[in-house]
Amino acid sequence: MKFWRLPLDAEAHTIPHGKVNIIWNRCKGCGFCIEFCPNSCLKESKHFNAKGYHPPEVVLQAEDCVECGLCSLICPEFAIFTELKEAKEITEEDIQKVTIRYSRKDKRYQKR
Amino acid sequence: MADLNGIRIGVYVCHCGKNIGGTVRCDEVAEYARQLPGVALATDSLYTCSEPGQEQIKHDIREHQLNRVVVASCTPRLHEPTFRAACESAGLNPYLLEMANIREHCSWVHLHDKDAATEKAKDLVAMAVGRAAKLMPQFEVTVPVARKAMVIGGGVAGIQAALDMADAGYQVYLVERTGSIGGRMAQIDKTFPTMDCSICILAPKMSEVGRHPNIELLTLSEVQEVQGHIGNFKVKVLKKARYVTKECTACGDCIKASPQHAPDEFNAGLSIRRAIYIPFAQAVPSTFLVDMDRCLNNSGIVACDRCFQACSHKCIDFAANDEVLDLDVGTIVVATGVDVYDPTALTELGYGKFPNVITTLEFERLINAGGPSGGELIRPSDRRRPQRVAFLQCIGSRSKRSNPYCSNVCCMNTVKDALLIKEHWPDTEIYVFYIDIRAFGKGFEDLFQRARREGVTFVRGIPGEIIEDIKTGDLTLLGENTLLGKHYRHRMDMVILSVGIKPHKDADKIQRLLNLATDTDGFYMEAHPKLRPVDTTTGGVFLAGAAEGPKDIKDSVTQASAAASRANILMSRGEVKIPAITSRIDPKKCTACGLCARVCPYHAIEGSKEQGFYRVIEAACQGCGACVPECRFGALDQTHFTEDQIVSQINAALASDPHDKILAFACNWCSYAGADFAGVSRIQYPHNVRIIRTMCSARVSPSWIEKAFIMGAGAVLVSGCHPADCHYNNANQNTARRVERFWKRMEKQGINKDRLRLAWVSAAEGAQFAKVIKEMEAGLKKLTSQQIQEAAEKLQKSLTKKSEAT
Repeated sequence: MKFWRLPLDAEAHTIPHGKVNIIWNRCKGCGFCIEFCPNSCLKESKHFNAKGYHPPEVVLQAEDCVECGLCSLICPEFAIFTELKEAKEITEEDIQKVTIRYSRKDKRYQKR
Repeated sequence: MADLNGIRIGVYVCHCGKNIGGTVRCDEVAEYARQLPGVALATDSLYTCSEPGQEQIKHDIREHQLNRVVVASCTPRLHEPTFRAACESAGLNPYLLEMANIREHCSWVHLHDKDAATEKAKDLVAMAVGRAAKLMPQFEVTVPVARKAMVIGGGVAGIQAALDMADAGYQVYLVERTGSIGGRMAQIDKTFPTMDCSICILAPKMSEVGRHPNIELLTLSEVQEVQGHIGNFKVKVLKKARYVTKECTACGDCIKASPQHAPDEFNAGLSIRRAIYIPFAQAVPSTFLVDMDRCLNNSGIVACDRCFQACSHKCIDFAANDEVLDLDVGTIVVATGVDVYDPTALTELGYGKFPNVITTLEFERLINAGGPSGGELIRPSDRRRPQRVAFLQCIGSRSKRSNPYCSNVCCMNTVKDALLIKEHWPDTEIYVFYIDIRAFGKGFEDLFQRARREGVTFVRGIPGEIIEDIKTGDLTLLGENTLLGKHYRHRMDMVILSVGIKPHKDADKIQRLLNLATDTDGFYMEAHPKLRPVDTTTGGVFLAGAAEGPKDIKDSVTQASAAASRANILMSRGEVKIPAITSRIDPKKCTACGLCARVCPYHAIEGSKEQGFYRVIEAACQGCGACVPECRFGALDQTHFTEDQIVSQINAALASDPHDKILAFACNWCSYAGADFAGVSRIQYPHNVRIIRTMCSARVSPSWIEKAFIMGAGAVLVSGCHPADCHYNNANQNTARRVERFWKRMEKQGINKDRLRLAWVSAAEGAQFAKVIKEMEAGLKKLTSQQIQEAAEKLQKSLTKKSEAT
């Protein structure tokens, strides 16, 4: 059965929330961070940096960043890092996102 | 009539009380049988299957030196074993018995036409006598039964079946799809009618399974493949990685660390769980697991190790892999259970839009002390305690819009829920809107009356619409009280939909793996609804719990114990006889072309061109007979369903008035059973059909169809299981191929190809079988005898041409 309502204990749960910082001109556009971000928070920017690459940019609904730090770990140019921000409460939107992902069987969310 | 090469057949026509005798003039049939070649004795009796009836057969075998027995009574699927045993005890080989089905296929389906039914019964007896004359004694091989069992599904039925078999001393593999056993019963707060705490009585059983030395518990596991047969199943089980090792103490330190969340399935989405979680507090095994669909590490690299850092025992292992286990088991118990009906589709009730409309499953979690609200009954919209609560019955049951059947448990579940509310908060007003309250079980009526005494209001008539007040979240129910004939309008704080149950969504996967049959509602079919209620048509596979039909806990446990006991009988005997219906190759005629090996669904034919011959591996042959029509040289034949035997049945069936007759070939498992079901349901259809049984429709040889048309049969029906439901590993795709080829041939020769029909009829589709026969009858009426004669001549001509050429 599809889950649709906001769980009753939603306010009791907080999830870590991170801010992604991109050092614009240091990026060489390898795209590792975009490819490997487990919550799909990044996408390739349309704009060029000084070196002529397309650096990543944070997608608009980037509430998903949980500050796992994988992007800063795999960036060959040390051009991206995350900061832990205030933990955030779970909203109805979050729940919907999860259920939609479940139902859509997004390739990313299938078993490896 | 006199002897026929020493063959002495005894014919017994059974009245079956009024079941047959009320429609068919049995004495006339017996009189007719006496004229048939080879018949030494023919008699009619009231109940042939009774003790005196069987004694009569045994006596006659000895006294009259009978060497074949024909019993014209019910379907061989019911009493063939009975009469075979009777023959055997009188010293006659059990394979020398033949049955004519004059009840399910004759008297019950032609209730109002005594003359036609009697004529048909005569034909059916003549067919059986014809076949009986060609029967040969057969000897069954015994195969060992592995003393191990597999139970699919870890709900209360699966748990009970596993415990019963393990206690009897057999090794049991309990395969459960989710992370813990317990199933639906673990989610429920109290049980009816005794109001016992559900998990309190289930948890001890669950932990017993966990520590039982004879049970191997396989959670997060799914059955992928089942090969083999009764006594020797080879099963492949995919055991998914748990990512948490057995050292886990379920301390829960990892939960807070996990950054990923999801709705908790156990609490019906009313609470949140993390990506690392334990299904519920009493889970067995009591080990956390990682939901890889939600974990950040699901693309093969460890992106986040927060739970690992928080775990003091370091028992999280992201390097764990799925494994495929190979199990050898002798018996299988299927207890896949049920899902609840999703009422979102019934838009007038507003489920999915109005927060205060909940299902009974959500209610169970709300009222449970271990649930998301700690046992407080609250409205989801504002967390206030509702003062006026409505229960709506039959949501998703007994309706053409959803499921047509009664879900069995919802009425009493609602009565129980209403009493629970009254118990905790007596001032709550409770309304139950119902169609009928079905309180049929032990102690059920008492509970229902208690609910009425406690002041629960029962209103007959389900609301047609629910309207929500957006400001307050209150709900207005509009409908008609069908007892008073008046419209009602009730304002409620909360509405609880008493949702029905339906087969588990994975039930069809298991059905295909084990070649089970399902009824029209999707529940598994038992081998016989009255006398073999836990057996399936697949030998060695048994049913337990609600997978077979909606059931409450008590019935599920009862059936689980029954299934375990049936499996225990097989395992304790340690061996089982395999029917002697395998194929055989005549080495003299075999040209080693290998066509038969190619169609065998079990790879039971081995050999090669170089070797110069092919042979059947008897232990692997399942007896479908798909290989026999494939041989162009007549080197193959199937034991007990030989070419001779079937041809003599065709001859007898079409001996008189062939132009008006429909000759039907039906496979034993689906279509013949479907025709039986039409009989049991008393669905009337035209009487000119004559049914010949084969094990699989793939046994039906194009030469039989050809012969039938040459003899002037009006129409021929070939029927089998639905594609993918074939009892013999999709052997019936050969049926389709052969029939299509015959159609092409008919087209080429200018014969109306509608006269040959291919129909897929399952064991539950009695009505479908009757419909097919009615349609064929309508087609037959349009034909003239001249057309039939011309077609027969054309086919005869091409047949003689072919035989001259070879």
